[in-house]
Amino acid sequence: MKKNTLYTFILIAIGFIACEKEFTPNLTETADSVVVEGYIEAGRNATPPYVILTKSLPFFRELPSFNNVFINGAEIWVSSGKDSIRLQEICWQSLPEVFKKQAAQAFNLNLDSIPKDFNFCVYVDQSLTMQGEVGKTYSLNIKTKEGQRLSAVTTIPRTVKIDSADFVKPPGINQNDSLTQMRAYANDPKGSDYYRYFTAINGSSYIAGRNSVADDAFFDGINTRFNLAKSEPRGSGASFDTYGLWRRGDTISIKFCSIDKAHFTFWQTLEFNANNAGPFSSYTRVKHNIIGGMGIWGGYNATYYDAIVPKK
Amino acid sequence: MKNTRLFSLTFILTLFCIHFSFGQNFTVSGYVKDERSGETLIGVNVFNKKDIGQGSSTNTYGFYSLTLPKGEYTLKVSYVGFADKEITLNLTGDVQQNIEITEGVALQEVVVTAEAKDKNVTNTQMGTVTMPIESIKKIPALMGEVDVLKSLQLLPGVKALEGSSGLFIRGGGVDQNLILLDEAIVYNPGHLLGFFSVFNADAIKNTTLIKGGMPAQYGGRLSSVLDIQMKEGNNQNFGIEGGIGLISSRITVEGPIQKGKSSFMVSGRRTYALDIAQPAISNTKFAGTNYYFYDLNMKFNYTFSEKDRLYLSGYFGRDKFVFNAKERGFKFELPYGNATATLRWNHVFTPKLFMNVSGVYNDYDFKASGGQDIFNFNAFSGVRDYNAKVDFDWFASPKHTVKYGVNYTYHRLTPNVFSGSNGDTTFTNSALVKPKYAHDAALYFADTWKANKLFTLEYGLRLSAFQQIGPYKSPYREKEYGAAEPVKTYYGFEPRIAGKYNLNDVSSIKAGITATSQYLHLVSNSTSSLPFDVWVPSSDLVAPQRGVQYAMGYFRNFENNMWETSFEVYYKDLQNQIDYPEDYVNKPAESVETSFVYGKGKAYGAELFIKKSKGKLNGWLGYTFSRTLRIFPDINGGKEFPSTFDRVHDLVFVANYQISKKWDLNANYIYSTGRPFTPLKSLFLIDQNLNIDYASRNSLRLPDYHRLDVGATYTPKPDKVGLKSSWTFSVYNIYNQQNPFFVYYDIKGVLRQGSAKLTAYQVTIFPIIPSITWNFKWQPKKRVI
Repeated sequence: MKKNTLYTFILIAIGFIACEKEFTPNLTETADSVVVEGYIEAGRNATPPYVILTKSLPFFRELPSFNNVFINGAEIWVSSGKDSIRLQEICWQSLPEVFKKQAAQAFNLNLDSIPKDFNFCVYVDQSLTMQGEVGKTYSLNIKTKEGQRLSAVTTIPRTVKIDSADFVKPPGINQNDSLTQMRAYANDPKGSDYYRYFTAINGSSYIAGRNSVADDAFFDGINTRFNLAKSEPRGSGASFDTYGLWRRGDTISIKFCSIDKAHFTFWQTLEFNANNAGPFSSYTRVKHNIIGGMGIWGGYNATYYDAIVPKK
Repeated sequence: MKNTRLFSLTFILTLFCIHFSFGQNFTVSGYVKDERSGETLIGVNVFNKKDIGQGSSTNTYGFYSLTLPKGEYTLKVSYVGFADKEITLNLTGDVQQNIEITEGVALQEVVVTAEAKDKNVTNTQMGTVTMPIESIKKIPALMGEVDVLKSLQLLPGVKALEGSSGLFIRGGGVDQNLILLDEAIVYNPGHLLGFFSVFNADAIKNTTLIKGGMPAQYGGRLSSVLDIQMKEGNNQNFGIEGGIGLISSRITVEGPIQKGKSSFMVSGRRTYALDIAQPAISNTKFAGTNYYFYDLNMKFNYTFSEKDRLYLSGYFGRDKFVFNAKERGFKFELPYGNATATLRWNHVFTPKLFMNVSGVYNDYDFKASGGQDIFNFNAFSGVRDYNAKVDFDWFASPKHTVKYGVNYTYHRLTPNVFSGSNGDTTFTNSALVKPKYAHDAALYFADTWKANKLFTLEYGLRLSAFQQIGPYKSPYREKEYGAAEPVKTYYGFEPRIAGKYNLNDVSSIKAGITATSQYLHLVSNSTSSLPFDVWVPSSDLVAPQRGVQYAMGYFRNFENNMWETSFEVYYKDLQNQIDYPEDYVNKPAESVETSFVYGKGKAYGAELFIKKSKGKLNGWLGYTFSRTLRIFPDINGGKEFPSTFDRVHDLVFVANYQISKKWDLNANYIYSTGRPFTPLKSLFLIDQNLNIDYASRNSLRLPDYHRLDVGATYTPKPDKVGLKSSWTFSVYNIYNQQNPFFVYYDIKGVLRQGSAKLTAYQVTIFPIIPSITWNFKWQPKKRVI
């Protein structure tokens, strides 16, 4: 944060003389990696595992269409030690209309703005026999049509809850009374814990912000109070003046999750990578937890909270 | 002290088995000074006119000593920019002879004795460049800010990031340069993210850069030595000089306290660009936001007698950044800077034995504090050293000049200690991240042996030791160390050898081997050195860096030394190099060294240098071919990669043309291979966002870099009251080359909504920049009391 503030300032200061133009790099390395994004969740809304399999996209000015990034026809197995299930591939185009609505909700899609030829594929446990359970370790095994093999392991850690929360006037001389800041209270148990959270407004889907993860290095084993910022996703163009503040009168939901260390590190490096692409900073390589590919296989232990932001 | 001297004596007796014949030899010794200011001069040649092999040069304190057989002599005193002087003496006993020389009115008018200006050929040390401050001031500067470090970047073998004052010398990192200001280590030589250096040219007397064979009196860094001396202050006349520039102004006051005996110099510089912009900023939501830096140099000296002289000098500089966003109640402050103080005592024991005793204190600290509402934080990091050293120059015989001494430093290094509060909850990493303490000692000796007229050998040894001491708690071993309890000790055996063989009067070959150890490390996760980067000592986690440099060169002068040329090659082997892993993220709760990864490095290159130092048109041409490579098991899958400052070809041309006494024209041209960077390899989709996957480290280069700077200096005749002023006009990057400073990627559109476009942009931060500076120097015609 402090680095960014200074960089921004310096860049503004030299901005009046700086100029930029398009740059076409000569690429020396080609990429053809399998990208995994799979989750399994325990808790009130325990869900069966699902996996999205895509291809990494090489550097081209015009990126391929969204429909063409999915990897179809892979064999995917999830095992919890004793039980093992195979995930089935479902694509948007083959879904009956009734399910499209549900799927759109689950994946934060706006049905009205989706192009007609839109497609989206996901591997799910249609048998619904396996659901995330706290304390269990789940391994993922993937074999693509081309014979590439990938694997990963994730654990669903113990439950940590938000005890309470309140809303206060945001700091500063901001005269905008319609916004407020949330303070949450939690009791962090002794031992290393890692967290990720999502927020939802007025019944929309849960989204994660630009800084969605935290560890307890500074508050291990203590009662802590912290500002819980509304998730501002990347590219949302959130202004500095309203960043993370809640609108009075909104119905809001929070999904607060415990995650394991590798899962935390993935998001920590990914978010650091996305937030720190400055002139002075070096690159950050995302630490994937997938053997043989890229991406994340992550377990969540989620607790959910709903509230209406008080009008006054 | 008594112990040290006793030790030093034993040291000479045991380490040397050189037979000295004293016979009928006598010694002439003393100081060489600038007649007008009384400033002692460094590196002045004093030699027998009839036999140039019988010569000496002044040391850092301006002292020379020359031992000759009984007889009559004419001594010649020669120094670039000064008129030669001849002194006749009948040597029938030891003679104390201080010499005053006069600055040449203009370079070309200096009476030149051919033999004296051939240091390029006759000096044993390679890769050593001395830049008088006057020639630094002539080079066109970015925004008119004369910058000592940036002018050194125009020398072969020295690389830099554009606009940055950081130096990468022969493949070494910015932390591998020993930067000394009056013997005090300057831990952060940059202002404003390194765009300007902390050295105010008006306060500087002399700058010496040693790229190659580091003499044994220097140590603690792998790559190079940058030894900068502050002006002592005019002990003859009172004077004021200064300047007004685009972004800063300077003023220096100097004068005698007791004429000829003691003098002082006080010099200050401050930027004001954003102070002037305050009325504009105050109307925005960032009212109160500001950035400025300043420097203050002070020096005082007192001559007790011909044998004793005392110097006290100090430097204090600060950068301050304040960021204010009232509407969000957000405030952020960032002050950082160096403070140094040096007390030195020069004593001449005998005409042949010169001693310097120094006590040095230095402190670099970086603070950041800020907050919003219930959240507040403070971060602090820094280095504090207490240093004492004793150095002897023993002009033992005409054939041997010996240097020896001891050096001790007590370090306290504070890593990023972070504390904060979030409402009632306070948090800090101070339990995990604690200051580290260390003893750092070295003893050295070096002998320059003039075997005969053709061959000179300089051999020396530096023995260094570094001991981490408590209080300390090892993160790996369940052991807690008490205060001053030794934790880990490292030793360094650092032989230094350099030889020169004269092929004839105008050419020589030289070769040298230098072994160095480095116990303090500044590991940077960025392309530039930033104030956030933390100095970390060697400890039970971090081993010292080690390096060996092998160098060879051919040196030749032409046309009565009008042209100096040299061709040098070097190979450098670097061990225990330190870096951050590729997936590094800031973890304020942990010591940075727990994240470090270790590897090896090598650097090699060839440097060609052609210099014309006389005539109306003078300047130089430098070309460097070099490679700088690193191998880290944990980076790039263990494959070799070029370092960020690996530029294969580098060409520099610097010229100065004196049209008349009033007008001076200057130009410099730079061309170099583009800097390597780590490009994007592919994008990957997570959470429906596109993320960047990077290719191998530094696997692509920015386009080649080139630019031309020009400048002109107009110096009207001094007016009647003694005010001498000059106007410097300069244009940086005159043909407005769009040299990329960095590359970034922009993704437009949302992939799932149909189309997304990925574009790479290169950003130029230094296009054509004109500037103007007014400089003045005032010295009353009559002495002011």
